[in-house]
Amino acid sequence: MSERSDVIPAPEGEYIESTRFAPLSFVLALLGLAGLGLSVVGAFVSPKQFSFSWLFAFAYYFTMLAGCFFWIIVHHVVDAEWSVVVRRQLENLAMLLAVMMVFFVPIVIYRHHLYEWMNVKVGVEPILDSKRAYLNWHFFLVRSVFYFVFFIAATLLFRRFSIRQDRDGNPAFTIKMRRLAFVALPLFGLSLTFGAYDWLLGVDYRWFSTMWGVYIFAGAAGSSMSLLVLVITALRKAGYLKETVTVEHYHIMGKWMLAFVIFWAYIGFGQYMLIWYANMPEETEYFIRRNTESWNALSLFLVIGRFFVPFVLLLIQGLKRKPHRLCLVAGWLVFMQMVDIYIVILPALHGPGVLISIWDFMPLIGMGATLAFFFLWIARRSSLFPNRDPRLLESLHIVN
Amino acid sequence: MRTPSGNKVYGMGAEFPSASSLYEAAKRVRDAGFKKWDVHSPFPIHGMDAAMGLGKSWLSAVVLVGGITGLLTAVILEFGPSQIIYPLIVHGKPVDWRTVPAFFPIMFELTILFSAFSAFFAVLTMNGLPRWNHPVFNWRRFSRATNDGFFLVIEARDPRFTELEARELLEQSGGQHVTIIHEE
Repeated sequence: MSERSDVIPAPEGEYIESTRFAPLSFVLALLGLAGLGLSVVGAFVSPKQFSFSWLFAFAYYFTMLAGCFFWIIVHHVVDAEWSVVVRRQLENLAMLLAVMMVFFVPIVIYRHHLYEWMNVKVGVEPILDSKRAYLNWHFFLVRSVFYFVFFIAATLLFRRFSIRQDRDGNPAFTIKMRRLAFVALPLFGLSLTFGAYDWLLGVDYRWFSTMWGVYIFAGAAGSSMSLLVLVITALRKAGYLKETVTVEHYHIMGKWMLAFVIFWAYIGFGQYMLIWYANMPEETEYFIRRNTESWNALSLFLVIGRFFVPFVLLLIQGLKRKPHRLCLVAGWLVFMQMVDIYIVILPALHGPGVLISIWDFMPLIGMGATLAFFFLWIARRSSLFPNRDPRLLESLHIVN
Repeated sequence: MRTPSGNKVYGMGAEFPSASSLYEAAKRVRDAGFKKWDVHSPFPIHGMDAAMGLGKSWLSAVVLVGGITGLLTAVILEFGPSQIIYPLIVHGKPVDWRTVPAFFPIMFELTILFSAFSAFFAVLTMNGLPRWNHPVFNWRRFSRATNDGFFLVIEARDPRFTELEARELLEQSGGQHVTIIHEE
């Protein structure tokens, strides 16, 4: 009780001053340009390696941002109180999916390096031919466009309603957002699932897994909650949200992190065990490649680092109520999401063993810095929390 | 402690008009240094555990021990028979630690089962359940605790309990119908 805030924030909300992060933005812009510029060099020097490195970085950021979109929907669908104070940051992060659409262009250009099924002629592989109704270039493109249109349009609407409510405090916007969320929920499920099939499973078109979409979703939701913890803490370090986000909110975010650490392990293990136990050649190929040579060590590291270590740490109640310690775990989980996506994509290129290339880092740094730059740009444009949301007071005074 | 008529005293009870007045009264009773007392309301009151100064429950420690016991039980019951006592090759899987994926579901389930049982029985034990009756039911007004009544009862076994002090404290905190509750 003593730690919760009794201060009612000013109804005008809290804004980042326009010059506050100017030097940081400048550095991020430089870093982004340098990273993306060097990626272009990589695209000419080593196109095969570049295309996989780019897909890796793309999938890493895309899953985390799509996870942020998921948390917005869940907030409205279940009419949550606690997440009101952190919702604006989720909206800001999800808006970055518009930037991700631009980053998707190189994948379209270099598709023949990434997706082997696009190079196989009709009549060569009967199994692939039976999948042609789904796996063909035009349908692939239509689907990809649909995912982006849906994600960006829905996020724009959520953000627009939310910001208009900041101005007039009209509770009708809450109802509108809730209705939108119910439409967006099934579409999100379909988009992320089939997006995961098209972009990630597509690098190995011979493999089957019905749990693939859920597996990618589990990683996305957990790592985006970790990302949210990091973003909120960074803003608090910079002197914002001091009176709005309390230790109780950290506790709840920590509980969600724990829940999705377990869920990720549950889905990942479910997928692995069924394939391992049934032992059918067309299914085991994926895991044989990831469980031999140096990939085996990395896979074991993933299992231990993505589940066992954070699971034990997040069980401790005291840790979830200490923002700095929770941040260490959150940073670790964001890193492990990167390892997870790396193990998903790169073995398709470097089958014999782990081979970390310099071109792996360029898109990663370039995209990350660009996204951070646009995050600062968009975070400036509205209050840092929905200051006229009808449930704001309940959220401020939440107690676990 | 007994009343002049010879009845054993369970404690001193008071009724409060609202959840917020009960909340404020709980803070005063906590600050007065009482340990053996409880509040009763028709619904859970947010923050009451802090107002009562309860601190963290040790239930989670019991559940942790129960969960670890369940996990170890599964490990022993699976690796023992199928790898030490009577090793058997099933599905062409190796007979060493790499068989562990097949064992995980049982480990998971026994961990959950033992955790759930230890939580269930620990909650019963910590609440002194099951029991046939409770002295607070000797107070006729108390039946409204499940409907619209808010009650605070200080037990006589609290070392700080004296009839005068308890009555004075409850009345000052805004309690109504302050009364002695008999043990039987």
